[in-house]
Formats: sequence, structure tokens, C-alpha cells
Amino acid sequence: MRDLTDAEVQAMGYAVGLELDGTELTEVAHSLNAILEMMDALEVPGLNAVEPVPLILPDTEA
Amino acid sequence: MEQSDIPFLSATQLASLIEARQVSPEEALNAYLDRIEQVNPKVNAYITVCADEAMEQARQAGQEIQQGRYRGPLHGIPVGVKDQVHTTGILTTDASKIRADFIPTEDATVVAKLKEAGAVIIGKTNMSEFAIGDSFSSFKGPARNPWDLSRDPGTSSTGSGAATAARLCATSLGEDTGGSIRGPASLCGLVGLRPTWGRVSRYGADGACWSIDTIGPISRTVEDCAATIGAIAGYDPKDPYTRQVPVPDYRQALTGDITGLKVGLVQEYLDSEKSGVDPRVRDAIIAAAGVLSELGAEVREVSLPLSVNCGVAIRTITHVERVSLHPEWLRERPQDYHHNTRVSFSTANLIPAPVYYKAQKMRAMVRQEVLGALEEVDVLVQPTSAAPAGVMSMDGTVASKEQAKQALHRGGYTGPYSLTGTTAMSILCGFSSEGDGGLPLAMQIAGRPFDEATVLRVGHAYEQATPWHNRLPPI
Repeated sequence: MRDLTDAEVQAMGYAVGLELDGTELTEVAHSLNAILEMMDALEVPGLNAVEPVPLILPDTEA
Repeated sequence: MEQSDIPFLSATQLASLIEARQVSPEEALNAYLDRIEQVNPKVNAYITVCADEAMEQARQAGQEIQQGRYRGPLHGIPVGVKDQVHTTGILTTDASKIRADFIPTEDATVVAKLKEAGAVIIGKTNMSEFAIGDSFSSFKGPARNPWDLSRDPGTSSTGSGAATAARLCATSLGEDTGGSIRGPASLCGLVGLRPTWGRVSRYGADGACWSIDTIGPISRTVEDCAATIGAIAGYDPKDPYTRQVPVPDYRQALTGDITGLKVGLVQEYLDSEKSGVDPRVRDAIIAAAGVLSELGAEVREVSLPLSVNCGVAIRTITHVERVSLHPEWLRERPQDYHHNTRVSFSTANLIPAPVYYKAQKMRAMVRQEVLGALEEVDVLVQPTSAAPAGVMSMDGTVASKEQAKQALHRGGYTGPYSLTGTTAMSILCGFSSEGDGGLPLAMQIAGRPFDEATVLRVGHAYEQATPWHNRLPPI
């Protein structure tokens, strides 16, 4: 996947009410591109079929 | 005993002297306050030292004990509390300018429980701003590692680790999302227990990530850790996710006997190509597993191939959940955040929903993997951190995507047990050769949900068989 440009990241920021510019915009772009690239690279068999329940509370004491 | 020797006792040793009325809670508190005055300027472990309130609590504890009303092992014991946890009438800042003037009107449940146990709240410990997970974003400046003041104390409960290691409190509370108890315990040479999610109330603790946050002890010995978790664990109607699971007497679990216990040594974290583990850490863990085997445990190899790669998944989840608590402040007061926090929160705001969703799916698979392994063994053992404490950088600038990726990998050591929601403890297992006294190396012991007792039992047996916990930081 290609990296998002600073301009694209800035536009995404506007969509959630954030005004990003300067070096801070570039740092956010680096951070976001790192997450997107690493998450995209996670290819685990069966991952798509998993139900993404955030937590399961154990019923019994160990 | 000189008063200045008191901070060098373990919490439970001090408790024995207090119970026997050989040391009063006021004497103990004064000893710690004197040491804080001498040492805290070097380690910056506290944001607030509440000497007056603590003295009042100590006097009350002393009176009760004199009247024969001894409450237990924390009665009269000075405890440091992470500044993320609400304390009535005492500043609670989250190490942020945003909360610089916030004084809660109600104690967090864990603080109320500490007070019920007779503990003396000596101060509020430093941390990374809103527990974001660096070591330098506190608006009061960074806490320092007592083993080497130039080094990282571990994050985000930086001050709880530094204060406990530097003998500025007898035991402390931290908050662990992706590893914020275990990390400081690891780098500061302590015992840090992440309890099972639902074991300890989070009511009154400012959230970092609602579905992963836990509050637990950072202590100098396993017995101190057991006494501290015993005081704060249990169901709380104010936190709907605490469970009505009986709380055992954790100190009674410290039998020293681990004969026949099944210990899984996680192989991926001993392989530098898969996990980036430092050879010194790897060797210390292998040696520690040997000690457990000599003590009668059955040590076997275990594989967790998904878990070692879960760092980015836990970072994605914690980023998104954490920033959901800050929308107004981030828009209205962005300059009041540390630069690094602002970059982190801004990034979190832009993570697409499908990516967060994929991270949650990964979490479910990691949980299956970890709980599956824990059906075969009683505990899992691996390093807590890839390497000993590094030199602390004060520059959080994200200079490149590659640098950002390196940071995302770091959650892979403590993250699996956070994602699973189960319990895990960091314990000192050796020293590197850097500096005057070397730097601590640490082993992580993870157990089944709500089975903190077995984790503590294994850690205690190991601790009693090895000399590491007797070494003092050169401060």
C-alpha cells in the first residue's frame, strides 16, 4: 500500500475537527502510515472469520 | 534500628515491626518523607507529596494499633499512588497541564480500599501524560530510573516504578494498559502485577483504554505485591466490569512449593529474529527457567506465534480508545498537551474504523492463542522487556515511518496478556553489566484469568531461590 501524503492526512484531520500543519502534520503522517502499513501486513489465516469481541469475561475462577 | 533504615525494609518487614509496635506509622512516614526530601529531586518520582494528609493518616493508624485494632499488612504503610487515580482533596493531574488544577472530591475505589486497609497515601506518582506510554511527556518533567538516572524508568507508571525502587514509598499502585505496570517494574528491578481485567475496580481512575485498563501493585518483593493486591482486589458495584470472584489470601499462596507446576517457556521471545530480544535478557530468562525446573516445576516449550506480532494491534486499540476520552480538550486546548501526546492523539483520531476492527479481530485470536496455551500449562514465562533500560531520550519527534514502526513493535512483549485480559507479573531475574550496579533484567509470568495466586506463588518461589531482589540501586 502507498503512504498517505501530508495533504491527505491534513484533509482527514479536517474531517474530525483537527487542524494539522507543519512538522506536527508530518509526524502524524509518519505515525499513521506506520500503523496502516503494519496492520495491513497482518495476514493471519482465519482472521476475517473471527468475531471481534473486545473482551470476554471469564465465568469461573481458575 | 535508625529511622533512616526504615525505607530499606520491605513493606511486609515494616508491617511486622508496626504490628509489634516496634516502629510507629508516624516514624515510618517520617523516614520516608526524609528520604523523599533527599532523593526525589534526583528521580522526580512524585508530582505531589501529601505530607500533611499522610501524617494525619499515620497518626490515626498509630492510635488504632496502640488500641489493639491492627488491620493487616498495609496498616501504617506508606503507599505511592499513580497520579491517574483519584484521591479526595489531593491534586490528581494525569501528569498534564490539562488537569493541572483538578482536585477530586471522591476517592477511587482502590484508594478507598487502601485507606480501609489502614495504608498511608504518601503521594501521587509521576507518569507519562494521560498514560500515553512514553517516559518524558509529564508536565512535571520525567521520572528517572534509580539504577541509572540517565535511563528510562519504564512507562507509563514511571513514578510508581522510580519511587518504589528508590525507597520513596513502601509499595505503590500503577495502572497497566499495554504494560504500564510491568514495564516500570521490569526496568526498575521490581515486582509489578497486572491483575486480571475485572479483578480490581477501575472506578475513579482516569481511563486510558476502557477495555484493557487495570490497576495493580508495583512493589519491591512478591510478598509486598501480594499484600498490596490483596488490599485492592474485589468486586465493586461502581465498576460494572469487576467480577464477583472470591479474593484469596494471596500471601498464604506463597508456599514456596511449585513442585509439579507446569511452566510454559514461550519460544518466540527467546528468538531475536522473531522478537528482537537482547541476548542478555534471553540468557537470563533461560537461567530463570532452569531455576524453576530445579524447584520442581515441569518446564516445557510453548509457542505463541501470533502474540509476538500483536504490538501494532494493541497500539491501534489503545490509541483509538484513549483518544475517545479527549475530543473536546484536543480541539479546544491542543497546546496544553505535550507535543508527543498531541501527535499520538491526532494520529489516533485518524485511524480508520476497519483498521480498528481488524485489530479487535487480532485481539480475539491472540486471546484464543494465550488461553489455549494456558489450558496446557499453569503459567507462561517470557521476558517482560526486550532489553534493559535504555538511555532516556527527551526528543519524542517522529522522524520517519520506520521509527514509528519500531515503537509499535514494543507492545509485543506485554501486549498479549493485556489483549487477553488475564494476569501477568514482572519480576527481577538478573542484571546486565552496565553502570555502577548493572541494570535490571526481568521475567514475565502470566497465568490464567483470576489466578493471580499461582503467578505470585511461582514468582515468590523464584525470588526466594535467587539473590537479585537483595541488590540496591546506587542512589
